[in-house]
Amino acid sequence: MAPAPANTLGYKPPDGGWGWMVVIGAHISIGFAYSTPKVLSIFFKAIQEDLGASYSEIAWISSIMLAAMYAGGPVSSVLVDRFGSRPIVMLGGLMCGVSMVIASFGTSIAYIYFFIGIIGGSGLCLNLNASLTIISKYFLVRRPLANGLAMAGSPVFLCVVAPLNQYLLDRFGWRGSLVILGALMLNCCVAGALMRPVALPPQHRRNSHSSLKTVEEQRSGSNTEPEGSCMKKAKKFINLSLFKNRGFVFYLIGNMLYIFGAYAPIVFLPVYAVSQGLDDYSAAYLLSIMGFVDMFVRPCTGLLANSKWIRPRIQYFFSFAMVFNGVCHLLCPLLNTHASLVAYAVFFGVGFGMVFALMFECLMDLMGSQCFPSAVGLVTIIECFPMLLGPPTAGFLVDLSEDYKYLFLLMCGSVIVAAGLFLFVANLYNYHMLDKEKAQKDQEQQKLRTSENQEQKKLRSSENQEQQKLRTSENQEQQVSTAEGEQEEHAAESVTVRTGTKDENEAQA
Amino acid sequence: MSASWGKLFFQLVLLLASCGHINTKTPSPTSPSLDPISPLPSDIRRVVLKGESHTEKVELLNPVDLALECIWSGNENKSPNITGYWRKDGEEMQSIRVTVQLENDKYTLRQVFKIVSKENLGSYSCSFGDEAKVDFLLAGPQIGEVRDKPIVSYVGDSVVVKCKMDEKKPKPVSWNWYRANGTDKEQIFYAAEPQKYEIKNHEWATKLVVHKLTEGDSGFYYCEGVYAVSTTMGHVELKVITFLEPLKPFIAIIVEVIVLVAAILIYEKSQSKKNSAGGNETNADQTNTPTPGDNNGPEESSSTRQRKA
Repeated sequence: MAPAPANTLGYKPPDGGWGWMVVIGAHISIGFAYSTPKVLSIFFKAIQEDLGASYSEIAWISSIMLAAMYAGGPVSSVLVDRFGSRPIVMLGGLMCGVSMVIASFGTSIAYIYFFIGIIGGSGLCLNLNASLTIISKYFLVRRPLANGLAMAGSPVFLCVVAPLNQYLLDRFGWRGSLVILGALMLNCCVAGALMRPVALPPQHRRNSHSSLKTVEEQRSGSNTEPEGSCMKKAKKFINLSLFKNRGFVFYLIGNMLYIFGAYAPIVFLPVYAVSQGLDDYSAAYLLSIMGFVDMFVRPCTGLLANSKWIRPRIQYFFSFAMVFNGVCHLLCPLLNTHASLVAYAVFFGVGFGMVFALMFECLMDLMGSQCFPSAVGLVTIIECFPMLLGPPTAGFLVDLSEDYKYLFLLMCGSVIVAAGLFLFVANLYNYHMLDKEKAQKDQEQQKLRTSENQEQKKLRSSENQEQQKLRTSENQEQQVSTAEGEQEEHAAESVTVRTGTKDENEAQA
Repeated sequence: MSASWGKLFFQLVLLLASCGHINTKTPSPTSPSLDPISPLPSDIRRVVLKGESHTEKVELLNPVDLALECIWSGNENKSPNITGYWRKDGEEMQSIRVTVQLENDKYTLRQVFKIVSKENLGSYSCSFGDEAKVDFLLAGPQIGEVRDKPIVSYVGDSVVVKCKMDEKKPKPVSWNWYRANGTDKEQIFYAAEPQKYEIKNHEWATKLVVHKLTEGDSGFYYCEGVYAVSTTMGHVELKVITFLEPLKPFIAIIVEVIVLVAAILIYEKSQSKKNSAGGNETNADQTNTPTPGDNNGPEESSSTRQRKA
């Protein structure tokens, strides 16, 4: 049994039961969110020919969609906090579906930018944020496993939707395919329906504030600021007080470095493989291998992270995963045979899957479930920049040097390894400081307690003395009163005796 | 004196006659120019035959004197003479049948063909007796990108059908578009119906834009690139469908979504009704019963928390 992480929810989450249905819903929702911008590229050539646009104009569709998905994070956090996950996921699914259908009637590229890029992207953003939030509400003990299973939706949907899209394109053309894809995205509404709000027992709701403040952080992985402030500030779009949290800032820096280097190898792997002598078909197959491996690695990582050895050290496991991923890229320039590139794709899939399975779990672990929605919104909007800059920078480097190997793989590999090492060191420092602070707090609390005890003793002893005084004075009064009462009785008795004898005397005479 | 005038007159007449004669000797500009004044460029294709037969593709664009040479090392019997002959498109060219001598242990057959028009293209075969054969396929360059999957478009929409020649090969002089009508009957487009068809020619590519599609516009479209002596043909299939076709799966999926959402919400309502019928106690139990096994866990943890403190 893993040592339970700090429960800052104020109630005991189900950790199972209906929670598994929620995981299925989150799986579908996250799957659509991550895979849609990638699989739309299958339609690009057909759209390009029909609308007469250039290749770079078409490629903007994916970029706009990704940008909208990440930048809408804070808005999504506020909405989820206000309305709960279920209506937001259903709204997101509806937005995506409707936007795709409308976009299928498009006659100009700007029309498609707006409907698929902006509205579709916003819909996906609502989906993503809400799904992650509800997992943190339903799971605590088994949360890494739940996160791993939910994040596995991304490679699963990529592997399923990509060939489906190709088939739809051949059968119905790009317009018909967008209509059908829109209908498929309405399944996010089904996912939303599954996300039943957690039934809180009423007394927990009332006591949530006080319990949050009195719960002690048993593991040093939790943040130190009182969680009540997150709940109050959740109404704001950007909660800047989160930046005061050391762990959060470290996580953000590490993640930004990782995201900058993470996506470029995926974009350039087929081209690099072709330059090493593989044919087009095998080169494209490499990406499918990576996706396939990713599908299984994510839940396995979640299971592994749930074990009792790793859960307390999950931040270190996260940095290990990043370093593994980076080393994989660093070794790639040495590989140029078909078999070795396949092995690279497999290890890349493993590393990539591990990092993404742990990414949001580590954030939940750092921030706790109350701060998580606003934290994830902030993280996604900041991650927007490295994500959009990464592949074009790699492309620019490739154009400069005209060689894929040494520049972009070194750039991506070294940046990711640096991110992993940074996180490792930063977490060491963070935990060290947290332990120190906790020790200080404990000391202060002990002092408080001892001084309280002393005061209480004093109070009690003075109370006792007063009580004794009261008792003795009462006793004295009683004695006095009883003595007087006796005298009266005596007097009354003698009167009656006298009268009695008087009567007797009268009777005799 | 009249005799000298007479001589002078006679000389004048002679002079004039000879001038006239010179004039008639100048060739008139209206004579036909079929005789090439400059010789054709020449090209040679040589094949050394290993085995019994071989096929060689030759790409030709412009008029040329093409020399085709076949070299055969012979078989076991190495007879000193063998009949060599040429075939064009399967029919033997009787006039050039020769007897080939064995030289340096090889038989060599060589013939120069004048390629000036489309009829000169085709399949040329050199044969050594009945034993060895080399086929030369003379044709124009292949169209670079041939799209094997049909282009799908919708009624009322406009579509762009594209044919592209490989840019490493020379560009065609002009492009033509044909449409398959029935079996192999092809019609040529011009700008006869400008509202319906538009042809845009670039150097290595040609685009046919078809407006206001109808279902009858489905079928094969052929683009033909024209060179000096040869042409090259590519084909693209166009399929026109109505919007009802994707609508059927669309409605099916929508129905499935509505059914699932309704089922989930109804199930939830029925669960909560059962609980409210059971009273408030069961409501509190509901949050705990899904995880009976884990009930002990957090309690232990709370006790460990205290122990650690």
